[in-house]
Amino acid sequence: MKKLLAETFTYGKQYLRTRIGAFFTFIFPVLLILLFGAVFTSVGTSTISLPVQDKDGSTLSHLFLSSLNDTGVVKVSMVPDTEDLQSYVRANSLSVALLIPAGLEANASACAAANGRYCTNLTLYGDPSRSTYMVAQGVVEAVVEQMNFALTARNPAIKVDSRQVVVEGFTAIDFFLPGIVGMTVMVSSMYFMTGLCAEYRSRKYFKLLATTTLTKAEWLASRFLWFSMILLISLALTVAAGVALWNVHVTLNAFAAASVFILAGTFMLTSLGMLLGSAVKDPESASAVANAIGFPMMFLSGSFWALETTPFYLQAVAKVLPLTYLNSGLRDSMVYGNMNGALVNLAVVVVLGVVFFVLGSKLMSWKER
Amino acid sequence: MAEAVIEVKGLAKHYPGKKAVDGVDFEVRKGQVFSLLGPNGAGKTTTVEILEGLRTPTAGTALVLDHDVTKDYAKIRKRVGVLPQDFEPFDRLTPTEAVGYWGRLFDRSLSRTDVNRILEQVSLTDRAKVQAIKLSGGEKRKLGIAMSLVGEPELLFLDEPTTGLDPKARRDLWGLVRRIESEGRTVVLTTHYLDEAEQLADEVAIMHQGKIAAHGRPQELISKSGSGTTVVLGGAGEAGLRAVQRLGLPVRQENGDVLVRVADPSQMKSVLRDLASLDLPLRDMYTRRGTLEDVFLTLVGARMEEGVLQQ
Repeated sequence: MKKLLAETFTYGKQYLRTRIGAFFTFIFPVLLILLFGAVFTSVGTSTISLPVQDKDGSTLSHLFLSSLNDTGVVKVSMVPDTEDLQSYVRANSLSVALLIPAGLEANASACAAANGRYCTNLTLYGDPSRSTYMVAQGVVEAVVEQMNFALTARNPAIKVDSRQVVVEGFTAIDFFLPGIVGMTVMVSSMYFMTGLCAEYRSRKYFKLLATTTLTKAEWLASRFLWFSMILLISLALTVAAGVALWNVHVTLNAFAAASVFILAGTFMLTSLGMLLGSAVKDPESASAVANAIGFPMMFLSGSFWALETTPFYLQAVAKVLPLTYLNSGLRDSMVYGNMNGALVNLAVVVVLGVVFFVLGSKLMSWKER
Repeated sequence: MAEAVIEVKGLAKHYPGKKAVDGVDFEVRKGQVFSLLGPNGAGKTTTVEILEGLRTPTAGTALVLDHDVTKDYAKIRKRVGVLPQDFEPFDRLTPTEAVGYWGRLFDRSLSRTDVNRILEQVSLTDRAKVQAIKLSGGEKRKLGIAMSLVGEPELLFLDEPTTGLDPKARRDLWGLVRRIESEGRTVVLTTHYLDEAEQLADEVAIMHQGKIAAHGRPQELISKSGSGTTVVLGGAGEAGLRAVQRLGLPVRQENGDVLVRVADPSQMKSVLRDLASLDLPLRDMYTRRGTLEDVFLTLVGARMEEGVLQQ
C-alpha cells in the first residue's frame, strides 16, 4: 500500500507540474461548460425516432402516423398498449414520445359534426428543453394542423398537449453537463494513459521500474487511483461552475451516481489507454492512436448532442464506442433519474473495463525482448 | 579469494540473424569492480540486462547472489542496484523527491537525513531542489547512481555510466565508483572507454561480437598481450623508422613519431643504448607503458573511439 501511494502521489506531483494535465483535467471542462452555456442553441436534425403509443388504433390514427412518417423528419416506432408511457419514457431515457388516446377518431368526428373546438388531445411526453423534443413537437403540430383543416376546415378538433417527464426545471445545459464530464474522463484517462505508456516505454521508465520491487499491478492501480481522484475533483469544479453560472440542476444523489460512473469510466478508459499504449512505441504514435480512437468517440458518443439526432449509421457506430455507455449512464443518473438504465450502462462500462484491463496488462511488458 | 557474487556459464542471447551474446563465462568476486569492456554492439548491455533480470537468456545459466536470475530474481531485487545504460530521470522530480520516491519502491522509508546523505555521496547536495529536467548530463547520471544506491545494494550494475560526459564529469564519476567500491560493494561496470576500465576495474572482460575475447586483471592482460613498454621517438619520421628497422627492433610509425616496442623490461637498457647510438634528430623522446588499448588492438585488430571500431 505504501508503494502504491508513493507511486500515485509521486506521479501526481509530476502530472500537475507539467501543467498540460492540470489544464485538460480542471480548466478545459470548465471552459467547455462556460462555452456551451453561452452559445447553446438548438441542434439541427435528420430523422428523429418518435415512439408512439396508439390507444385508438383507428383509421384516423393510422393515417396520422403515416403522415408523420411521410414528413421524413420523424420515424414512428410503436410502444405497446400495455406500457405506461410516462414510465416508459423515463425507463428508456427518451427525450420525446407521443400518446394517441383511445377515442381519437370518434371524438374528432363528433367534434367536427358539432362544430366543437379541441374535443380531443394528443400528448407529447418528454423533455421540452431537448432539441429532439422541439423538432418532434413542431412536426406533430404541423401534421395535426393539416388534419384539423381536413376534418372541419373551421374549428380545430385536435390539439397537442405537452407533459414534461424529466425532473422539473431542467434546461439544455443540464444535458451537456454529463457529456462534458464523460469527455473529460476520456481525455484525462485514456489520452493520458496512452501517452504515458508510450513515454514510459520510449524513455525506458518501464525498464527502470522493473528493477524495483514495484509490480505492474501496483503501477496500474496507482494510475487509476490518481486519475479517479483528479476526475472527481474535476467533476466537482465543473458542476460548481455549471451551478453557479448556468443554474445547472444537480442533486446530491445525482452527484453521487456521477461519482460512481467516474470511477467506473476511469477504470474502463485508463485500461483502454493502457491497451492502446501497449501497442505503440513512441509518444508521437500514441498521440495519433489516441486521437484516432478518441475523436470519433468524442463526437459520436453523445457528448455534445443527442444521439437520436444523428443518422442511423452513426447511431450504430455509437453503440460500439465505450464512451457512449459512460455518457448514457451519466445522463440516466444525472438527468433522467433512470436508475435501471444507469445500472445497465454501468455494467457495460465495468465489463468493458475488465476486458481492456486484462488485454492491456497481458500485452504490456516492462522487460526487454 | 572472495566469494563469487555472479557466476555466468555458457550464457547466450540469440535474436533472429544475430547472436548478441554467444556463450560467455565469467565470475565476479565480492567487493571488486568488474568491467565488461567492448565496442557498441559487443553484447555488454545484453549480458548485464540478463543479470539484472530484464532479459531472458536463450541458453546458459546466470547466478546472481546465489539465485538463478531467470527463476527467482524477485528474491534478490532489493539487494541489487541498477543504473541502466539509457537512464533518464523523471523530469519533474527534484533529486530529493526522486531518491525518496525510489526508496519507497524498495520498501524503504528514507528520512530527510538519509536522502541528504545519499545525495551527498554523489555530490548532488547543491542541486537537490532542482527539477531533473534542469540537471546537466553528469548530474543526471549522478542522480541515477543515487537512485541505484537507495536500497543499500550489495551489488551495483552501472551500465556505461560516463558515456557522453565531459572529462571532468567522467572523473567525478570515477571518484564516485571508487568510493562505492571502498564501501565493500561489488560493482559491475560496462564501458567502452579503455582508460575507464583500466582506472577502475579490478578485473576486465573484453567482449567482442558476443564473446569474451580476454578476461583478467588489467595489468595481467597488458603483460600477456606482450605490448610491454613503448619507446616513443618524437618526430623521428621516415628516416628514423628505417634506422630502427635496421637494428631489428619491432617498430611502427604513428603521426611522424616512431614507436619501438620493448616486450621484455630486462631488454630496456640495451634498447635505449642502441637507439641513442643512432643519434637521430628528435623533437622529444619518452617511454609509454602498455595499456588496455594495446591489448584491445592486439585482440580485435582495430582501435575503438567512443565505442565505435576504427578499422
